[in-house]
Amino acid sequence: MITEENRQNVTKTFEFSFPTCTNEDVLFKLQVPVQIPHGGSTRELVQRVINMFNIPVYLEEELNEKLAKFVSDETKNFHNERDEKLLNQLKNSEINVDSIVKNWEKLFKDNVLEYAEQKGTSDEEVFGAAYHKLVHSPALETILQVERTYARTVADMLKNREEDIAKITQRQTEEMEEKVKLLNTFTTEDDINALAASHFEEQSMVEGRWGSQLDALWHAQREEYRTWIMTMVEEYQGSEALNTPSNSPLGLPPLPAPPASRAAEGVPRLEESFTIHLGSQLKQTHNLRIVAMDVMDLCRAEGESDSSDLSTRLQTALGLYSSSLSCVVLLCPESDLDSSPLGESGLLQERARAATEYHFPAPAAQLQAVAERLSAELDKRPADASPARRRRRLRAGDIYVTRHSNLAEVHVVFHLVVDDSVRSGDINSRHPVILGLRNILKTCCCHDVTNITLPLLLTHELTDEMTAAWCVRRAELVLKCVKGFMLETGSWGGAALRGLQVAAPPQLAPPVFQSLARLLPQVFRTPTPLKLNTE
Amino acid sequence: MSEDHCRFAATTYFAKNHPGETCGSNGLPLTPSSITILGRAQKLLTINHTNLCTYLDVIREKHERIIVVSEVGGKPLKDLNYKLSYENISNVGRQVSSALEYLHEMQFTHRTLAPDNILLDEQNRVKLFNYGMFYMTGGGSDVSFPLGLPKYLSPETILNGGGPSSDVWSLGIILLELCLGTLWTNLKPGPVLRRILTLVHSNNAPERIAREHDCYDKYMKIPENLRNIIEKCLKMMPSERATPSELVEEFSQVPCTEVLEAPPPRGLAGCRLQFVYHWWQLAGGDVLAELKTQGLVKNSPPILSMPVAVLLDGCTLGGKTPALFDRRVAHYTLDRLRARLAHVPPAHFHPLMHEPRHTGDAVSLPRIIRERDTEYQFYRILWFQRLLDGYPHTADLIKQEAATDIPPLLRAAVWAALLGVRGDVKDQYERVDKETPTPTDRQIDVDIPRCHQYSWRLAGGGAHAALRRLLKAWLATHPPAVYWQGLDSLTAPFLYLNFCDEARAFACLSAFIPAYLHQFFLKDNSQVIREYLAKFRQTAAYHEPALAAHLADIGFVPELFAIPWFLTMFSHVFPLHKIFLIWDALTAGGARLPLALGAALLRRLRGLLLGAGFNECILLFSDLPEVDIPGSVEDALEMSRKTPPSISYRRFANQPPVTDPLDMVEIPLDALLTETSPRISIRDVVTLVQEDRCTVVDIRSNLLFEKQCVRGSINMPYSGVQLGTRELRGPGGEALRRAGARGTTLVVAGDEDAAAVLVSTDTSGDPGGAGAGGRGALGTTLVVAGDEDAAAVLFSDYLVKCGVARVCVLHGGLGALHTHAPGLFTQRVA
Repeated sequence: MITEENRQNVTKTFEFSFPTCTNEDVLFKLQVPVQIPHGGSTRELVQRVINMFNIPVYLEEELNEKLAKFVSDETKNFHNERDEKLLNQLKNSEINVDSIVKNWEKLFKDNVLEYAEQKGTSDEEVFGAAYHKLVHSPALETILQVERTYARTVADMLKNREEDIAKITQRQTEEMEEKVKLLNTFTTEDDINALAASHFEEQSMVEGRWGSQLDALWHAQREEYRTWIMTMVEEYQGSEALNTPSNSPLGLPPLPAPPASRAAEGVPRLEESFTIHLGSQLKQTHNLRIVAMDVMDLCRAEGESDSSDLSTRLQTALGLYSSSLSCVVLLCPESDLDSSPLGESGLLQERARAATEYHFPAPAAQLQAVAERLSAELDKRPADASPARRRRRLRAGDIYVTRHSNLAEVHVVFHLVVDDSVRSGDINSRHPVILGLRNILKTCCCHDVTNITLPLLLTHELTDEMTAAWCVRRAELVLKCVKGFMLETGSWGGAALRGLQVAAPPQLAPPVFQSLARLLPQVFRTPTPLKLNTE
Repeated sequence: MSEDHCRFAATTYFAKNHPGETCGSNGLPLTPSSITILGRAQKLLTINHTNLCTYLDVIREKHERIIVVSEVGGKPLKDLNYKLSYENISNVGRQVSSALEYLHEMQFTHRTLAPDNILLDEQNRVKLFNYGMFYMTGGGSDVSFPLGLPKYLSPETILNGGGPSSDVWSLGIILLELCLGTLWTNLKPGPVLRRILTLVHSNNAPERIAREHDCYDKYMKIPENLRNIIEKCLKMMPSERATPSELVEEFSQVPCTEVLEAPPPRGLAGCRLQFVYHWWQLAGGDVLAELKTQGLVKNSPPILSMPVAVLLDGCTLGGKTPALFDRRVAHYTLDRLRARLAHVPPAHFHPLMHEPRHTGDAVSLPRIIRERDTEYQFYRILWFQRLLDGYPHTADLIKQEAATDIPPLLRAAVWAALLGVRGDVKDQYERVDKETPTPTDRQIDVDIPRCHQYSWRLAGGGAHAALRRLLKAWLATHPPAVYWQGLDSLTAPFLYLNFCDEARAFACLSAFIPAYLHQFFLKDNSQVIREYLAKFRQTAAYHEPALAAHLADIGFVPELFAIPWFLTMFSHVFPLHKIFLIWDALTAGGARLPLALGAALLRRLRGLLLGAGFNECILLFSDLPEVDIPGSVEDALEMSRKTPPSISYRRFANQPPVTDPLDMVEIPLDALLTETSPRISIRDVVTLVQEDRCTVVDIRSNLLFEKQCVRGSINMPYSGVQLGTRELRGPGGEALRRAGARGTTLVVAGDEDAAAVLVSTDTSGDPGGAGAGGRGALGTTLVVAGDEDAAAVLFSDYLVKCGVARVCVLHGGLGALHTHAPGLFTQRVA
């Protein structure tokens, strides 16, 4: 380990003298400052010196020799003097040996395999490996069916809960109306207040009861599922030529009929795809798609939708432990953070609750963990840090990440915190939210996320002030910045971005969408197709 | 796996990530550490010493992983299961010292010397393995793990200092350990380091260590001279320690086991390791796959290591912990390569100049397959190496062979030979001042971080510095040349190939520019470039008349797209691997090739261009579509073979001036800019006529033609054609079409009188009407011949617009031809 301090160079003066042509006793004296350690070639330095001072060429060899020796001696002295100073300090106990040794110990322990604490493969990794193996085996179909059946149970329970709560609400409303009618005749305000209180209590009790039932169900399903996967993989390893496993805990329910296509549900969604080139000489090819949709569509949960398409589900299951992940960027308004440290991201939670999370902690637990990590980190920051670093909570441009196995088309959700300024028209490429996008792309590159969906206009919904001109201006900014970030990530040697999808709000009028779609080939270069010449 | 069969081994580690949002001083993002490491490690690849394992390759994999491939041979001292004799310990010491002496002389510090990287083979030969970690990681600053093993760290290293003499300390500890047995067994790093530091209070470190281990008696039994050496290595103060050179000297006074003479290596064992490694890769050797099977590369699913949050300031919370540094080494066997080359007789490993040559079976396959064929490359590389060893006497043979193909592994050396680089280039390069600031430095510094940066080799700081030195060196040695943007791209391929040999890169560049880009880098290069582009336009018209006519019609002149093509010899337009293909042909094919290649590229784009208007063309060339480069190069070679030399004559080419009127084609630049078709010299016409490879189109009146004409020529009286139209009509049209179909050159020759008539004729073409005439079907060189040039020029333009290929104008007209070669003419009797 060489610290900055002792890597610094010192300058030494090289001295050389040679007799003048006419008088042997009169010497020319040459002084050249040389950096020690010397980075370049001493022979080159000699050439420069000879040219600069018009030194006779017959001295070239001698100069070469002398300078090389000078540099080599001085370099040795440089190292030795520094080291001897250190050693003398050590001898005189002027050095804190403890901290140095502890530092080394930690370095070895944290970074070198043979000194590290032996830790086995984590549960997560074992389960992940097992699952990954099974989904790439004939067992895949069974797994998907089991997941579906489990999800249906959850969906049923959720439905029951909704009904139950609705029923209670209905009854309570009637009761209340009854009471209110009789106000000032048979009842007093106090009575009504008391009733309202008891209603509230009842409501929360029911909700609590359902909540714990759901928790219990999730927990039971998760345990059962994980055990089942692990037994199955053991069997799988036992028999190389495995047939479709038939011991699923539920028997084999028939696969549901393929869901009605989304197009049939209503208006076909607007989308357009492009292949683009990045780079001037060596071109990287990327797929780019612009689509008008609600990004939450990508986050459909297994249970809620009959429309959830089996093939997308399959794709997502296959990719979960691969090095080609999919992600979506959701915007999280800063104002939502007032109520809780991370905002509610309510809809997503709702979706993710619809089916049990078998692989990762439940969304609520993940959010909890994020909040804890965050406050731990923020506490660590020194009090004298700049105001930008010293803060209590997330702000615009910050990101938090959740992982999901039960959403239809994504594995990873990036929650990008935005503030009100993104609604205004005049944000530039240095805006924190744009920089947040950069961090997202960087994180994707470093963690093998290869398919990204992001909100093109940095908003999920359109408001009145977002005119067509506003949309185009915003889309152009986002696309140009994203292009820059993509070029930048190219050199990092991480995962290559395979597909970038930019989503505009679904309410967008088709003509506006068309003008946004036209931006893409303007901002990015689309390759000219080479026509086959039949001549 | 028997270690004897292994000649390569690989180690792998991760480079350190830069923290968050940092930028370099130039405002550009920081170079990833792995690229910096890669750049530094190139120098290690050039090290060659008997006591050092040769580095063969450094590979950058996804997510900052570095793989280092190196020679391996023998067994690590750590794995020896017997105790070495004192003589053999001295032998080890002697050879390690000699290796260290070499390393220190080359400014490398080992810093990680340990018994697991000192290899001892059955002949008692010692080789150090992976001695470049400290150097390639920038003294450990580009990796997160500590270098070396605690036991062998010198006290000053532990205190965060340490220079080259730390290696001597490590050697001392290793020698002591060989004598006394393993030291500090079962101690964790902390206590070991503490013990080393307490040695500072002792006057005799080895003795104290021996006492600590209760083996003072054993220590005293070590022969005195060896013990003295150990003591000299373990002096506390670095200045008192012996230097490696002194150690070599000392060991020569001590009885040492001799290195046994190994049986002369045969077959693959006798080939250069770099070659063997290359062939091994071609035979399907996969460095990464083997690391995976040996468990050195483990991929944890990325979803499990996602961070939980990323704050705006780049601070990442959670996520993956950096992977642990695994010191193990993966070994590779050559079995597959041996099997692939099993049928090659031993004599073929040593090709001789005068013997018939062997090539393997792939010789008739496309070049891209030949480049990946083990056996073909085996023969090719051995043969080229033989030729290169004989350079410069074999220059002609090399040129001849290079026309077929150039083995990628030897490209740098072959190019240098083709460009005629010879002499002490290192000395010449040393004499050039590359440091003194000049006004162009700013522009150079702006351009370099944008020059072929997708190539990892060119993206690092070392490469930037080298490119800067090369550019400055070239500018300093070639006044009055100035820096034009593009010179950086032009230099990049040479630097890429000669990464560790700047002098050769410089010599190649200095030879390349005069040969291909003579005077292009003058401050006022407008004349040179205009002439070049005019010649390009003519070449295109000669080979692709319909296309040239179309581009001329829409006003899409070469000035709009072809300047970067030629100013950088395509190196600014294409990525490096394509430039190599192009320049392979260029260096072997000569200065005429670029023009033909330009035409060949246009030909590849013909379908697109013919349907495109001016604006589409601009867009098209701003981002050139994928063009089949090998195909274009083939086309260009074919074109340039079939083109008479005088057609590509340039006044500004770096050639002796033409004085013989037979060879003369030169016309003033202003005239050149207006002419559609190139001019052909009398000598070329004579040759072509004699070989029956051209048809002379005589545009004089039929009266003159009947009086006297060139044998086999066609008469198309100039007065008889409608210049505005785009169809071959009129007398002689049919004959011309037939002649064209035979694949000859058409020479248009004119007459003085006719010229006078023609000057007044309006020649503005009809842009709408596409000449259906003989387009495409015609494949000959047409020489348009007249008594005087002006008419011929206009006539040739008409032919090109009609889509007639290979049209050129006879310089000087028929009059001149008759003066110099009356024998070509026949007299006709009316």
